[in-house]
Amino acid sequence: MTDDPRALLALALADDEHVLGARHVQWTGVAPHLEEDLAFSSIGQDEIGHAVVWYSLAAERTGSEPDVLALGRRPDEYRHAVLVERPNGDWGYTIARHLLFDLAEDVRLPVLAASSWTALGDATGALRREERYHLLHARAWLTRLAGGPPEARARLRAGLAAAYPEAVGLFEPFAAEGELLADGTLAVASEALRERWDGAVAAELAPLGLGDVVDRGLRPAAPGGRQGHHSADFTELWTEMTALYRSDPAARW
Amino acid sequence: MVSVTPLPSPADVRAALDMVPDPEMPPVSIGDLGMVVDVSVHGGQVDISLVPTFSGCPATAVIREDVARAVAALDGVEEVTVRFVRDVVWEPGRITAEGRRKLSEYGIAPPGSGQRLPSGPGLLQIGGAPPGVRCPLCGSRDTVTDSPFGPTPCRSANYCRACRNPFEAIKP
Repeated sequence: MTDDPRALLALALADDEHVLGARHVQWTGVAPHLEEDLAFSSIGQDEIGHAVVWYSLAAERTGSEPDVLALGRRPDEYRHAVLVERPNGDWGYTIARHLLFDLAEDVRLPVLAASSWTALGDATGALRREERYHLLHARAWLTRLAGGPPEARARLRAGLAAAYPEAVGLFEPFAAEGELLADGTLAVASEALRERWDGAVAAELAPLGLGDVVDRGLRPAAPGGRQGHHSADFTELWTEMTALYRSDPAARW
Repeated sequence: MVSVTPLPSPADVRAALDMVPDPEMPPVSIGDLGMVVDVSVHGGQVDISLVPTFSGCPATAVIREDVARAVAALDGVEEVTVRFVRDVVWEPGRITAEGRRKLSEYGIAPPGSGQRLPSGPGLLQIGGAPPGVRCPLCGSRDTVTDSPFGPTPCRSANYCRACRNPFEAIKP
């Protein structure tokens, strides 16, 4: 593992997208209907594509290769938030996590766009264009489940209650965040970004009578995913998603 | 007699790129889609910069190889590098007039057919309010977007109520 703060930042961003993308595509073939098979396949594919962008930036700084970073590390070297490694659960949890994660992207990408690391900032343009569709999708399902029959609403509420405390972990400070802030790689600290995100989450949930999910005083679990602390859920997922690479690191696909 | 190998010009390279089919929409070329950002030629060395339509497009590896092969076949080309850049944002407006015409013939509504970002729960309501995207098959706007997530990241799934055919559209 590198100790370059910029490479570590790019890895954390990449791992979030890679691992959530791996979860999203598990809906392929088993979502509630065909359009949702396609939606989660497409969104998962986008997230993995975004991970490739961040892995490439990390690889340029460390002299590595994107695939080696994506698939050639031990589980405790991944820097994603624990939220994204959790199994998909039911539709309520899936939609809750999708919404909370994509709102986090929505507040984070503009900050990254202003980075003094210009290659990182430049890369956000395409990502922001593509993320529009993710948030539209999450909002559409949020509205539908919140206004749906009692079971839909109850499952959504339970999903939000389960996902929110771990979504806070998306704002656990990055490794060497002080240095990233000092040199302008990050224009806003994770803690301050968390406040913006809570505002965005509350703006979505309050009109639906679900605003009580937001707990502004809740701190990210520490040490958490940003420091390589993961759950058994990730060990299982990692084993599956790296199986081909570990069997033949030179494989092409 | 001294034989002189002709050197390729950037125009020759661009003409070749206009002939490289997109792997997922073969009637349309890489050039037609506006994926070519820059071409530079230094003697027999050709450097090509491309932008993917979507970051997660799985066809980029195939496109890179197809482009390298097509350009390497030009007279005088000794070496080709193909790279994808991240500092350019692909937008449907990059598709050429020729590309729009070919897409329409292929049955995919090109940009400028009335696409708009869906909003609110309408995204999930199959059978939303017309006018929708102009049907590339019959020209009607009595159409609905079933889902913004079609068979590839850049295409949405639509249905024409006039000619009763499903069709795809380039996403806005």
